Amino acid sequence: MKRKLRLVLRYLAALLVAVSILGPMLWLFLMSVSSNNDLARIPLEWLPRKWDFSRYAALVSLEPGQPGALFLHALGNSILVATSATLISLLLAIPAAFSFSRYPGRDGWLFGSLAIYMVPPVAFVLPLYFVLQQLNLLNTHLGLVLVYCSLILPFLTWMLKNQFDALPRDIELAARLDGLRFWQVLLRITLPLAKPVLGASALFGWLLAWDEFFYALLFTSNISAQTLPVTIAGFTAGRATDDGLIAAVGILASVPPLFIAIWLQKSLVNGLASGGSKG
Amino acid sequence: MARVELVKVAKRYGKQTVLSPLDLTIPDGSFTVLVGPSGCGKSTLLRLLAGLDTLSEGAILLDAKQINDLDPADRDIAMVFQSYALYPHLTVAENLGFHMKVKRVKREEQEGKIARVAEILGISKLLNRFPRALSGGQRQRVAMGRAMVRNPQVFLFDEPLSNLDAQLRMELRAEIKALHQRFKTTMVYVTHDQVEAMTLADQIVVMRDGVIVQQGKPLEIYDFPVNTFVARFIGSPPMNLLEGQLDIQQGQPGVLCNGLRFTLPARWHDAASRQGNKPVLVGVRAQDFILDPASAQPTATVKLIEVTGESSLLHIDWQGFSLHVQFAGRVDAQPEQAIALAINSEKMHLFDAESGNRLS
Repeated sequence: MKRKLRLVLRYLAALLVAVSILGPMLWLFLMSVSSNNDLARIPLEWLPRKWDFSRYAALVSLEPGQPGALFLHALGNSILVATSATLISLLLAIPAAFSFSRYPGRDGWLFGSLAIYMVPPVAFVLPLYFVLQQLNLLNTHLGLVLVYCSLILPFLTWMLKNQFDALPRDIELAARLDGLRFWQVLLRITLPLAKPVLGASALFGWLLAWDEFFYALLFTSNISAQTLPVTIAGFTAGRATDDGLIAAVGILASVPPLFIAIWLQKSLVNGLASGGSKG
Repeated sequence: MARVELVKVAKRYGKQTVLSPLDLTIPDGSFTVLVGPSGCGKSTLLRLLAGLDTLSEGAILLDAKQINDLDPADRDIAMVFQSYALYPHLTVAENLGFHMKVKRVKREEQEGKIARVAEILGISKLLNRFPRALSGGQRQRVAMGRAMVRNPQVFLFDEPLSNLDAQLRMELRAEIKALHQRFKTTMVYVTHDQVEAMTLADQIVVMRDGVIVQQGKPLEIYDFPVNTFVARFIGSPPMNLLEGQLDIQQGQPGVLCNGLRFTLPARWHDAASRQGNKPVLVGVRAQDFILDPASAQPTATVKLIEVTGESSLLHIDWQGFSLHVQFAGRVDAQPEQAIALAINSEKMHLFDAESGNRLS
């Protein structure tokens, strides 16, 4: 009896989490397919009287005068910037984490960078702005990629170091005796074993860049480098705001992360679980 | 052919000395066992041989060629780890063939060698499994196979049986010995288990605190331990040590230990006279006692009896000395019973009480 109760409670808890995540998503979707009149109707009606998918069509069309051009461009910018920043960070974080993990005593650098990571982003706005200005990288993809690397890199390094710490050393030693050079051990033994966490942390890093708003807002000035969060914010500003359109953008903006998450799902679950057991 | 020589090899971590400069020769084809309590430096020595750690000073020679600056990958030395250290993401066959794959050996040749080694070790049916689906004994077999497949100059074993249960340990111990007899490859084996050391080795190297205390054939070490440390470390249960004083009565040298007097056999006479009247330790193995000798009074008290079936281990109080005494077969005795005891004086050992070194 007690066990059944516990099971019920567990499902209730899971349901609560699911509803709290899916509820807003559902509302967002309903908004995106309701006409403005339906949205403003009082008393509120949950389902639109007429299902209106025209906003989605507008958003994915490249015809001039439509919001689609802006949206698709920003989507491209976001994907480009987040993916590049993640890949570059991965490339740097792997050897860095390996070094931190295998050569104790270098930890100071890692803790230092994590300490800086704790400082609120607003403190870095001016210095970063000046650096980007000097390098002529304001309002460019590369500029944003660099800024995002500074966010993702310490995080990834930390995650991967913990994972490398958890791998048994003897396996690497065995591989050394089996004829692998130091760097080959990393590539052929350590990385394959760390794959689950590699995927999970890369996704988190990618989301960090994908959702980032503050720096993107300040360091870009127009659509040539502006990312999705900034563009979405732009839709709300000024003139007559189309709430339905913003909702549709929101739905579409959550599609790429969703696909990446599904693609990485297996390793994501593994990674989160293994990360959980080991600090 | 693979003869390993360590010349003045030392290892320090910062100010801490793990290995004091030591010399050691491991003859070609020998089975050398490094044995000692944990922290004695035996595993460090093995890692130095493998190249997983760098020397602080000295040189390691393999067939008179200096190898201590070579990368482990270039040493042609294979190692079996206590933790098995199999590659978890590869199947048994891939684990076995990993070295050959790295060295780009032809596929047919790889498969032939893997099949042969798997056959020898009885793991042919496991080739397509992953390590996580194997039992401890099977894993260690695969780990041994991974080393054997390479046909290396030297095999290193780092406490390979420590993680296995007693029965499996005995089984694999015999297999390792059989493999050595069959292939005659030089093997260096680290263990803290003196039974493994005695049963496997051609040459035992007893270590303590980074120093080689004694090296020699197993029975040599068993019969002539150089000091009380070796005497108590090799042999089970540990050798009994009784404090005493040399004592000559009617021209007969003997040792007086509390109320007990042991007559010294002739071979100890010279050593005893050199020792003069300095205190000594009399060493007697548990198996070297005689129960109920004709001449003796029941001066010992039985405290505890441990029976295994094939032997009986008695904890005995003998004139204030608490001793382990082992007899083959069964003994008709009860706790608190008084028994008569004597020692087989031919098997007696004498050590200096102060330094613990064997008298000579």
